[in-house]
This record gives sequence, C-alpha cells and structure tokens, in this order.
Amino acid sequence: MRRLTFLTGYFGSGKSEIAVNLAIQGKVRYLVDLDVINPYFRSREADVPLREAGVTVISSPLKDAIYADMPYLSKDVFKPFFDPSAQAIFDLGGNDLGATLLRQYRDLAAAEPVDLFLVTNIYRDDTSTPESLIALISSIETAGGIKITGLVNNANLLRDTTYEEVAAGEAVLTAVSAQTGLPIVYTCIPETIYDPAIPVAGTPLLLKLYLRKYWL
Amino acid sequence: MANKVLMKGNEAIALAAVKGGVEAYFGYPITPQNEVSEYLSKYMFEQGRVFLQAESEVAAINMVYGAAASGKRVMTSSSSPGIALKQEGISYLAGSELPAVIVSVMRGGPGLGGIQPSQADYYQATRGGGNGDYHTIVFAPESIQETVDVMKEAFDVADYYRNPVMVLVDGLIGQMMEAVDFNRPVTKRFLPPKDWAAGGMNGHSGRNTICSLYLDPYELEAHNLKLQKKYQAAIQNETKFELVNMEDPDYVIVAYGTMARVVRSAIEILTKKKLNVGMIRPISVWPFPKAPFKAINRNCKGILVCEMSLGQMLDDVRIMNNGALPVGFFGRAGGIVPEPEEVVDAILHFEQRRVD
Repeated sequence: MRRLTFLTGYFGSGKSEIAVNLAIQGKVRYLVDLDVINPYFRSREADVPLREAGVTVISSPLKDAIYADMPYLSKDVFKPFFDPSAQAIFDLGGNDLGATLLRQYRDLAAAEPVDLFLVTNIYRDDTSTPESLIALISSIETAGGIKITGLVNNANLLRDTTYEEVAAGEAVLTAVSAQTGLPIVYTCIPETIYDPAIPVAGTPLLLKLYLRKYWL
Repeated sequence: MANKVLMKGNEAIALAAVKGGVEAYFGYPITPQNEVSEYLSKYMFEQGRVFLQAESEVAAINMVYGAAASGKRVMTSSSSPGIALKQEGISYLAGSELPAVIVSVMRGGPGLGGIQPSQADYYQATRGGGNGDYHTIVFAPESIQETVDVMKEAFDVADYYRNPVMVLVDGLIGQMMEAVDFNRPVTKRFLPPKDWAAGGMNGHSGRNTICSLYLDPYELEAHNLKLQKKYQAAIQNETKFELVNMEDPDYVIVAYGTMARVVRSAIEILTKKKLNVGMIRPISVWPFPKAPFKAINRNCKGILVCEMSLGQMLDDVRIMNNGALPVGFFGRAGGIVPEPEEVVDAILHFEQRRVD
C-alpha cells in the first residue's frame, strides 16, 4: 500500500467500511471521505472510533456534514499530498460517478504515484462476473483519469458471510487478475469468522463493521 | 446462500417492482429514496417499459393515475414531503378505483425536516392527507427481504382491490444493505381481466369512463358504500403481523419497520435480565392487526409502543387495546434511530412511560 491510497468500486461494494478499517488498523493520519453520492453509511460517520485511533477525518466543512447529502467538500482534501510524512486513505463514492472526483488529483498523482484499489463484492448483482468487473475498471479509469493498481476481494453477504463466499470472490478476481495483470492486494474477512489456517489471496484484512449498528 | 445477492433497500425495491410486473414508473427525486428511480431507470429501459422523471411529485402521481386508468401496472416512489404532495392524487386513485403502488421512504419532518430515517409519516400513510372516506392499504416491512416480498405482492393486492397500496419504509431500510433472495414465492391472487380500463375498445362496446366525480349524493353514497365493502374485505384478508415471544409475556412491545429490529435486540437484552417481553409487529399498518391484542395474556403488565416518531401508531394500539392494559410510549424523533438499550430502559421504567 502506497502512502496515499484511494479506494474505488461499485456502489455498496464495501469501500467505506474497508477505508475505516484500513485507517484504524494502519494508524494512518488522514481518512479523506470523498463520497458525494450517498446520504448515509459514509466513512465520516465513524468519526469517533477514527478520532480515538488518531485518524483525522477530512470530508465536508459543513456543520451538518454527517447528516446532509450536499456534494460539498473541504479544500483540505488535498492536504495529505503536502504532508509527506503522513499516510492517507481516500474513500471515493461508487462507480464512475464517484470516481470523477479523482480528476482533481491527476497532476498531484503524476508527481507522486498513488495506489487506486478496486473494492469488489461479487454478490452485488452488477459485479458478479470477470467481464462486468473489467467493464467497471474501464469506466472508473475513464472517469477518474488514474489507473487502478490493485484489486480487493470483499465478497460478502454481510452477516451471512462464510469462507465459501470469500473463495467464490477470489475465483472471479483471479480471472480479472489474469486478464488485467492487476494483483489481488487484500482479501476481506469478517473478524468473527477469520481462520488463519485458510489461505487467501493477498493480505487478509479482518473487517470490523464500524458503520453498521450491532443490532442491524 | 447461492441464490442471495447483497442489495441496498432502494435497489431491492426497484428490482422487486420489476419482478412484480411494474410496467410504468413515474417519480421525482428526493433523498433518501433516489436509488429507487436510479435503478428503475436502468431496469425499465432494459425491459422496454416506461420510466419517466416527472417535473414534480404532483405531476408524477397524476401520471400514475393516467397510466393506471389504461390498465397498466404502475408505481411511484418518494419520501415524506414528496408523499405529502401526492396526497390529492392518492385520494383520486382511491375514488376512481385505480390500482397503483406507492413507495414511501420516510425521513424526519415536519416540513423539509431532514434526510435521516424516521417513522413520522405513519398518520400520513394510514390516515392519508387526501379528502374523502378512503383508505390506502399500507405494508410496513422490517427487512430488505420482507420489503422485496411485500413489493412483489403489492401489485397483486392493488389490482385485486383496485385501490392504491403503499409500501412504507424508513430511510434506513432504503439505504442499508442486506442479503436478499428474489425468488421466494409470494401469495398470488386470482385477478380478473381489467375490463374497466380505458385502454382502447379491445372488442367491447360502450365507453369505459374513469372518474371520481358523482354529483348525485345518492350515487356518491352508493359509491362510498361500495368502497367500504372493499375496505372491509381488505381488513379480513390483508392484515399481516408477526408475533415474537408472545406466549406469556410480562410486557408487550408494539413496533414496526426498523424500530422492530431495535426491539428484537432489546428483547434479547431483557431476556438476559430475566424479563419476559414479547412483541407484536404489525406488517400491515392499514389494516391494523386486531387479533393479537385480544390474545394478550391478562397477567401482562402493560403494552409499550415504540416508534421513530413521537407517538402515531400509539393511537391504533390504544384503539385495539380499548383500555384493557396500561399503555406506555417510547419514541425518538427527527431522524434518530434509538439504540436497543433505550428500549430496555423504557421497559424497566414502564410506569414513567405510561401515557394513560
């Protein structure tokens, strides 16, 4: 994972939960919430656990940013590029629409290469096949103007997830990887079912759900 | 798990509508239900059906009226202030006996309010803001799976009664994700051909007229009595509810939708505290379930109504309880989803929550 890592992917593929987990586990300095699509379940909602882990959330300067869906972001979204000692995770909104926000970073990313990981969940109906994921990669790269550098397997049915789903996701991503040359950098596993004896592609990322209430 | 996909509530509503046979959608954007129209714009185009973003909610509901009059399966969706704008159209649909499905994804109010989840439109859904002696059949599911099942059935129910049917959820159900199976069977109804529709002559003689205008008061009363007959049939046949732990509860909680999810966890916590608490969960909120209230054990110490509003379903519970047991209330407003611990506290301090 490079110093500056962006997460992109299909709507509801799990980018925000992964961004919060990566930020807290990696003890990064900044989490930049660039979601201008969703009204709920954005990474800025996890501001309390993030703050406790020493992560600064950069999103919108609006007073009610957590409760509003205004497509309005802070000028500080560029700050991590000018703070060379800091690590940062950037959480984009879904699809090509969310990825258009990458355009503003193109010159900066040309000077300092960033990672752009595609978060995938094959149990989202539009991204269940290698072909659909390759089409998604192309539309996101066209919209954002930055190339994807890695794949994240987040195959899950939320609380119903087993290793069977994880393996099914890995099979699809292995095919995407073979055709695109992109590596599988992370495999997400709910922390409640994690078994270190079961090998997975890339680094296992144990997920705790920060945005979803325990009773839901 | 092979048949399941992970979907956002609003997406699932859209796909369930397609599977339920919707032929035309008319709507106008509003948070937190925009994904319904976003996804329908794609699905309807792929299926060669009608999708239209109207110039306003008022236009959309009147387009629904027109398309329903032509005999097609039609729907619209909106959120609180948008549903408010549709009230006149809903009354006209009921008056003209036109079937349509209306999805209401509630957010905090009144007025513009906010965009966080709420249940403050219970009155709006079950009493209606339109004029006249009419009812809308209203289903209020608690999960995305149940929303899908109810959506698929809603079109049949609307056609059967020739009446608008509302699917009432809060913004959380619209926005959250859950694993869902679209192939679960739902109850099918025998539906006669729509020979009343104004969709061309199709071989019949005489003209089909669809309107809600009856100048002769005797005719209008007869029309009203005919509608009432349908409503009585709906009360008989469409009342849906779930009972949780209702064998011999110390207290009964009444909750629907997202609030019922919170209450489920609260009941688990209360069970650990050796308190036996049950739940009546209305799935149809009009017609409102009556039978489970009659069946409550006499040893029960009270009924706690829980809502994400400041007390609307409370009225229906009081009507059904008819003074039999003490009634208490717990609710949060403005878009706040309460935690299970708050419900636990309300049960533990029931006497302070009494409203009668």
